[in-house]
Amino acid sequence: DGQETDYSRKGADTCLSCHDDEVTLAIFKTVHAVPSDSSGPFGHGQLQCESCHGPGDAHSGRVRRGEERPAIPHFGSGPVASLEDQNGICLECHKDDVGFGWHTGVHPSDEVACADCHVSHAPADAVMQTSTQAEVCFDCHQRQRSETMKAFSHPLLQGKMDCSGCHSAHSDEAATAFAQQTLNASCEQCHAEKRGPFLWEHAPVSEDCGLCHAPHGSNHAGMLTQRAPLLCQSCHSASGHPSIANTTDGLAADLPSQYLLGQSCMNCHSQVHGSNHPSGSKLMR
Amino acid sequence: ADTSEWLCEYCPFESGYTADYSVGVTSVSEDSAYIGNATGYDEEGVYANLDGQGRYANDSYRWRWRLEDLGLDSRAAEVRGGRPGKFDVRIAYRELPRRRFDSTATIFVQSTADTLSLPPGWVAAAQTTGFTALDANLQNRAIGSDRRVFDIGGRYLRSERLSFSADYRRQESDGLKIRGGSSFTSASLLPMPFDYVTDEVDFGVRYGDARGFVSLRWYLSDFENGAAGFRWQQPFSFSPPLGTGTFEQARAPDSRFQQLSLATAYAFSAYGTVLSASASFGNIEQDTAFLAYTTNDNLSPEPLPRSALNGDIDTTNIAIALTSRPLDKTRVKLSYRFDERDNKTAQDLWERVIVDSVLSGDPELNTPYGFERATLRLSADYDLFASLRLSGGYDRKEIDRDFQEVASQTEEAGWGRLRWRPSASVEIDVRGGTSQRDIDSYNEVFAASLGENPLLRKYNLAYRYRRYGDLRLSWSPADLPVSVSLSGRVADDEYTHSQLGITAGDEFGVAADFSWSVSERSSFYLNAGVESMQSQQSGSEQFAAADWYASHDDDFTTLGAGIRVREISGDVDLQLDYRRSDGTTKIDVDTAEPGTDRFPDLRSELDYLRLRLNYRRSERLGMSFDLRYQRFETADWSRLNVTTVPQLLSLGASPYDDRSLILGLGFHYRLGDLSPAVSQP
Repeated sequence: DGQETDYSRKGADTCLSCHDDEVTLAIFKTVHAVPSDSSGPFGHGQLQCESCHGPGDAHSGRVRRGEERPAIPHFGSGPVASLEDQNGICLECHKDDVGFGWHTGVHPSDEVACADCHVSHAPADAVMQTSTQAEVCFDCHQRQRSETMKAFSHPLLQGKMDCSGCHSAHSDEAATAFAQQTLNASCEQCHAEKRGPFLWEHAPVSEDCGLCHAPHGSNHAGMLTQRAPLLCQSCHSASGHPSIANTTDGLAADLPSQYLLGQSCMNCHSQVHGSNHPSGSKLMR
Repeated sequence: ADTSEWLCEYCPFESGYTADYSVGVTSVSEDSAYIGNATGYDEEGVYANLDGQGRYANDSYRWRWRLEDLGLDSRAAEVRGGRPGKFDVRIAYRELPRRRFDSTATIFVQSTADTLSLPPGWVAAAQTTGFTALDANLQNRAIGSDRRVFDIGGRYLRSERLSFSADYRRQESDGLKIRGGSSFTSASLLPMPFDYVTDEVDFGVRYGDARGFVSLRWYLSDFENGAAGFRWQQPFSFSPPLGTGTFEQARAPDSRFQQLSLATAYAFSAYGTVLSASASFGNIEQDTAFLAYTTNDNLSPEPLPRSALNGDIDTTNIAIALTSRPLDKTRVKLSYRFDERDNKTAQDLWERVIVDSVLSGDPELNTPYGFERATLRLSADYDLFASLRLSGGYDRKEIDRDFQEVASQTEEAGWGRLRWRPSASVEIDVRGGTSQRDIDSYNEVFAASLGENPLLRKYNLAYRYRRYGDLRLSWSPADLPVSVSLSGRVADDEYTHSQLGITAGDEFGVAADFSWSVSERSSFYLNAGVESMQSQQSGSEQFAAADWYASHDDDFTTLGAGIRVREISGDVDLQLDYRRSDGTTKIDVDTAEPGTDRFPDLRSELDYLRLRLNYRRSERLGMSFDLRYQRFETADWSRLNVTTVPQLLSLGASPYDDRSLILGLGFHYRLGDLSPAVSQP
């Protein structure tokens, strides 16, 4: 037991005598290796490599011929520590970034390790860069990757938007994993014009953008969940044109219908997110 | 540990400056709004470009900067850094081009920022076929916008326990949107100019230790539109004429959202228990002055009840979560969330002027929608063996709404999950569950007051029974350089109480990933997905029982593959990526007429191929070659020519048939230090 808790004789110098490869040395290009940061791993009096990897005496000591070298306790090949313990190592310092909500969140329940998403030795951690973050998330979120490859999507694959613009990966179970408190508030960060309040509101808009939009991607422009007019007719059935069955008779080659073609219902009811016009109760003004 | 002799003599702490800059030219073979969307490569031609990134470091400070696509409309620049453990700051600027259509055309002339006028000599007609001056006045007008985002923020660590943060972000977005302009039985699709500005401010303070924290945050989002209204002259002729012939719509009103959030958490020593809680209280205000009821001075509606909405919404969000390990092999989680949108906007009776011509004579009451939503989740994990975890949970969601057909609805869900690791390299994760959404009652009288068929059940307010299952398999053998994962899901929704509206829905999806580290320097990946979403709905032309039925079926297949090879012949890196996605929407409408009416398939096909080669000529100099080919085609019966529909003057957006070859050649140069210096702590 004493062997497992003993630290190496010379700290990082012990480690670097073997681990002098490019990947390992990249740690010195990161904020994890700043000598003046007294709370950082390489600050004065800190445990250097062993701050994160754990006591390394057994791992760095002499090994008899034929014996297997003991694994480093954390973040090595064949780690001996539990996933929870390894995450705990990161959280010791990153409480401010991650928050305690992590413990009650979805990712730890799914046994996701910090190191599954983050590369602490990388000068530019891919999950922290807008242009590369989505690919990291898609390693597990396969469905979302497929959705973003659909014809109409937010520009994630172009590297111009990241998942964390809308989602909070570290939030707790009750916090819905959105960047803001609700789905709508998250969407309104960039689409504040939809926020209102309007004199004439459209009920689903004020409650849940996801009732009409598929924000990860869709086969329909505007990332709509369904094609209009059927999307609108799933909630509107008033006598007259809202209730008619729009058939192929209304296609361009037959009797072109303004209820079906172009913007469909939105040819006239264009203020679907709400209208602030005194005569706009039908969302046409 | 005694670290007095831990000298870190071999530690190559970064010190000094290094930067890589790339100057290049890119040739784009075709105009394409779709391919230029977000990338900025929307027009045929040659683009000059500059990219770069750099770092500066000394014993105390770290700074990084990044320049991206400076020659394009998607340019971005960012500087971030600071003194780790003391403070960090970030300044960023980026632009995002939104390109929708470049095939659109209009007769409208933008005479002022808020007015679209008819061209001189316009000949109005009752139908588009009578627009004899159309061809002479049709002007190409691309639909799209540009977003500019400026972001500055930072964090100051007063001590290990106390930190302050501040962020400011300004977003400006301007361009043209498609806006439908109704004129009684006709309509025009208008290229509406817009100019939005959103400012966001976020201040926070946090105090915490190893056991817990408390934080306070103030967030402000202020949206400005600049103008309350937007006018256009209508091109159709009516007898008698409709009003003055100039109509007006309201623009999105200016609004302001503020929110104060308090959050706390504590890790108890007993049973690994962690309790977290947060409470946010916000307010949305909107007091943009109203437009008049009509642009027609010949009408005399009653005075507006008030000059502005004075919209006032209080928001409340409360979240509590608890996790604990009461037994060695058991973990329980409990969470509760409450969201409220308390819309305190006053109600009044409002007249309505129909297409600026007729008073409706039937004043209407505005309905300031609000809701309360409470969500309870309870779950437990039990490690039956070290390799087998069983989980189960119960979720309950209650929503109370104002001014809607259903005042109160409850959804209860139960689920189970099994995670099994038969070996260190294999994981099987199976989950399944059901949920039932019940409503107190569907207020058919209220629905009738809105003019809706009382048999309709709006799909988000309807009774729903859902069953679903998820499966995930992964295999990552330690002795082979490959990993494979497969995930699938099925879901089935039944709206058994709905006679009209959505009556059923189901979903199926499978996705697979394969990756192979061919060697230390090369790798290969492959991913593929299949997805299908179907829904059934019904309607009634006779305003009675269902007399038409429709099905809407979205099918997708996606494929991605790529290769990475480093240091070919020692100095060339290769990256090859290919993506393909196919989408098909099948719509059937079944009426009393014989046979089923099947629409032509709505199709989209996207191919994307990119080859990148980087050549290191020396430690400082390099070259890059970047080839992209992209093709996007759609078959879409809703897209039409400008005058296809007699009652609709459209913008003529045609289905996409875009392909573009993008060739880039760049030169890289590294400035500053080539290798990090060694300095002592």
